[in-house]
Amino acid sequence: MRQSDCHECSQLNELKVNTDMMNMIASWHLSGDNVVIEQMPIMGGYVGSVEETAICDVAATLASFVLFNCDLHLDGPIHVRWGTTTNRQSLQVSSHACAALDANTDVLLANQYYTLAGPCTEMCLLEVAAQAIADTASGRELLSGVASAKGVSKDRATGLEARMLGEASSAVCGMEPDYVNRVIDNLLRQYESNYPTAPAGKTFQECYDVKKIRPTDEYLQIYEDALKTISNCGLDF
Amino acid sequence: MAARKYVDVFDAYDRFTQGQKMTESEWDYQVIPAKAKMLKDCYELDFGHDIIPTDSELIDRLFLAGMDMLLSCGIFNVDQGRVLTLEEDEIYQGLKMAPKKLTLGQGKDKVKVKPRRGNAVRRPVIEGGPTGAPISEDIFESVIRSYAQEPMVDGIVSGIIDAIDGRLVTPNSPWEIKATMAEIRHVREATSMSGRPGMCI
Repeated sequence: MRQSDCHECSQLNELKVNTDMMNMIASWHLSGDNVVIEQMPIMGGYVGSVEETAICDVAATLASFVLFNCDLHLDGPIHVRWGTTTNRQSLQVSSHACAALDANTDVLLANQYYTLAGPCTEMCLLEVAAQAIADTASGRELLSGVASAKGVSKDRATGLEARMLGEASSAVCGMEPDYVNRVIDNLLRQYESNYPTAPAGKTFQECYDVKKIRPTDEYLQIYEDALKTISNCGLDF
Repeated sequence: MAARKYVDVFDAYDRFTQGQKMTESEWDYQVIPAKAKMLKDCYELDFGHDIIPTDSELIDRLFLAGMDMLLSCGIFNVDQGRVLTLEEDEIYQGLKMAPKKLTLGQGKDKVKVKPRRGNAVRRPVIEGGPTGAPISEDIFESVIRSYAQEPMVDGIVSGIIDAIDGRLVTPNSPWEIKATMAEIRHVREATSMSGRPGMCI
């Protein structure tokens, strides 16, 4: 690893750490490495409401900087039932926590992406877009993703999801919060009723030419369709 | 009173050794839920339907509630079974010491992470990758290249290689170290073969 790379470790839920994590930080800190500390508060876990989860999120973020000397905090509020960061409640938690920290500190804030649907599905791309729009509009400095299909299914992750992350983020920069809220609400309505039957999508081998590293025509068409849907929801590219 | 110095990970460890003893289940099921609920009521937090907050007083109250949570609860170390506490001035001192900008990557692939202050017109830095998702050994490099070749991707967040030398990776074993080293080499090779050898990983 180079000193221009990032080393990452995680707090535990909620407001907990272990000594292994602190030992890693000590090594990186003394070596002058970039330290990223992750914490994914669980909405509906030890705390119940979006507001309580956001309180824990702010507290955990502050701890990353003031106790553990991180350079960047990586968020990722996750829903206890769906295991995603792209659902309505998680977006509320991450956006409010980010806005609160952004308005009151100068710290660098990142968020990560866990979608319910897998690659080569429009739902996956819409989930990515909704979160990218929320993260960008709430003031985050770095977006990290995407763990498609909740990041647990082998080989279900591809570069096109990251393309959507970048495109949606760029498209919303500078827009007013009231308008952005309407766009996100429109997007959420496109996919949140599909949670129980969310498509697993395809593996990398099924939706990319593995040798040439090019997405299939099928996936490119789905990507185009997703852009049209997002545009109909109020965000032009 | 001004803080004597900012708290670092070494001070944090020492404070844990002196901290109040508690069981993890007390922390999880009593301290955290009770305090979070109390602070929600105390600071009158109600997000309503907004995803992006539009009430500046609400977000200031949320910030204070988060500060209050950290000050009144502290942090629990599961190995030591103890709670660390800190003072308000130490939090502010720590925030002053926190980096205000960060440079990631090298050469022409270098990117700067700087505060955006709300929904600025400057887009966030994009770190693309499987984000810890399991990836087969034989396609690992190709999967990473699929991110590195995207022009909007500024850095790589790796996945987890599921096997090394055809053998499944056993957690907490030498095989896990070998797999991690292989991941780093594959990611570096993938960024190089995409013409972006200086990318941050």
